[in-house]
Amino acid sequence: MINRAVLCPSPPLLARGLTGRDPAVPGLRAACTAAVAWLLEPKPQRVIVVGPAPATDDWDPTGRLDLSAFAPALGHGRKPGLPLSLGLGAMLLDQVGYAGTRVLQAVGEGEPAGQCAQLGAVLAAAGESAAMLVLGDGSARRSVAAPGHLDERAVPFDDEVVRAVRDGDLPALAAIDPGLARELMVTGRPAWQVLCGALGPGRPVTEVLYADAPFGVAYLVARLDPGRRPQALGLAGPPRFSPGHWTTNGARRTRSW
Amino acid sequence: MDDRAQAAPGRPPGKTQAETQAGTQAGTQAGTQGITQAPLRLGRTEFAPGRLLVMAIVNRTPDSFYRPGLTWDEGAALERVHTVVAEGADIIDIGGVPAKPGTEVPVDEEIQRTVPFVAAVRAAHPDVIISVDTWRKEVGRAVCEAGADLLNDSWSGWDPKLAEVAAEYGAGLVCSHAGGQAPRTRPFRVSYTDVMADILDRTLELTAHALQAGVDPSRILIDPAHDFGKNTWHSLEVSRRLGEMTATGWPVLISVSNKDFVGETLGAGIEDRLAGTLAVTSVAAWLGARVFRAHNIVQTRQALDMVAAIKGDLQPARTVRGLA
Repeated sequence: MINRAVLCPSPPLLARGLTGRDPAVPGLRAACTAAVAWLLEPKPQRVIVVGPAPATDDWDPTGRLDLSAFAPALGHGRKPGLPLSLGLGAMLLDQVGYAGTRVLQAVGEGEPAGQCAQLGAVLAAAGESAAMLVLGDGSARRSVAAPGHLDERAVPFDDEVVRAVRDGDLPALAAIDPGLARELMVTGRPAWQVLCGALGPGRPVTEVLYADAPFGVAYLVARLDPGRRPQALGLAGPPRFSPGHWTTNGARRTRSW
Repeated sequence: MDDRAQAAPGRPPGKTQAETQAGTQAGTQAGTQGITQAPLRLGRTEFAPGRLLVMAIVNRTPDSFYRPGLTWDEGAALERVHTVVAEGADIIDIGGVPAKPGTEVPVDEEIQRTVPFVAAVRAAHPDVIISVDTWRKEVGRAVCEAGADLLNDSWSGWDPKLAEVAAEYGAGLVCSHAGGQAPRTRPFRVSYTDVMADILDRTLELTAHALQAGVDPSRILIDPAHDFGKNTWHSLEVSRRLGEMTATGWPVLISVSNKDFVGETLGAGIEDRLAGTLAVTSVAAWLGARVFRAHNIVQTRQALDMVAAIKGDLQPARTVRGLA
């Protein structure tokens, strides 16, 4: 079961080494660090990092972000790097000195909402006392200067995401339309929906630590405390994401539960 | 003293002859790759090899070639120092005698132009590196007394005793090449079998002499001295082959700012040589030069920072493009 969860954004510039001499986003980094520190306060037995990637996959928990993919001058990583979102999650855990068990779970960018929720339920049910670190961003089309230029629907979309997180309104997140999210260049959607599945019914107590878009991409840092709540969402029929039954090749798999 | 005792004549500290030769070959072909540069000490500061230094020209002359008389007035000159320090200059190079021929400036007049000003700059900027462009030992002695850190001997050891002054005061020394010409003379039909070989011979002869005189080896620089005893073809050759100088392991200073070889190459008048100056500056930085004597500080600093970032020696100021 998940006893705490945190949302963090996943822009490469979250890595301090990538912004040059200027920290560029010190407030964002501080919010992420504070959120992750809070996440680890109850000393969870494991931390599940969930982040969007091209395919749903379970990654080597010793993996790290390879900064050289973004800045060749910074040198090559020791092994093939993690997907960006998971790599940043691993980095955030490293920054607060977390040395415990980690699960690095990528969720496919196109994964349907129902599959995401199922994956979340499976992850939550796989052991005791887990914390979940969820990476992903809102729209990258919030302004003419944004990476994806302006889409008028972007700001209202992000506002609704922030409202839902602030209110602990998980059904609203679970209901986000993947097609609209894709059009708005929202990377966080599948990971947020995994979180919904992991937390199940109930209204978590939440706090938004950061919600801003300094470069036209919506960044959100929030903590979610599920508190006492009923048993996690029951699943009808065999889940697609059952332990030891993954959809992609085994090269990246390092453990089967 | 140990460094001094161990360093062979003309060779920078910490390098064996084999290393120096291997470095020369590598440097000829590929700039600074594989060359070990030692730290450079000036004043109380040690500068790492990757650090590119801007030396700002502040002339106490009424008749220098670029914007003559700009800092002839002491107040204007001091104001100029404040400005260039704020703009990122690491070294102030103070000159009391123009390089070109003209009215003779006697020793006492040169001292009068430079010494009080060195003292004023030292008082206003305790940590800035002060260099004085002179070939005369009497002037060298007086400016060192007043707080100068570096003697910029643009006329290539015309007075061999200048090195002894540098040694005596623990000051640095620039060992340059002027093709054997007397101070304040222009090149007249100069020719070389191999200009770079001549430059290496002369500058390394001077570094050997400096070491012998007792100059701190970490405070010695070499300078090909573009335009000095050279026509434009020679200066272009020097610019192209500067890697042969950096391969010696000695820190290389270049002084190219707005000079005639830039003007002749581009067909550009004195006020229209900045782009050419920055191009030479950038190529020299890429080939491993470390100190850049300049009039236009902001632009030179930017060009050098750009090259340093390309080389990987300097982090970019702020990078968010494509990373948000």
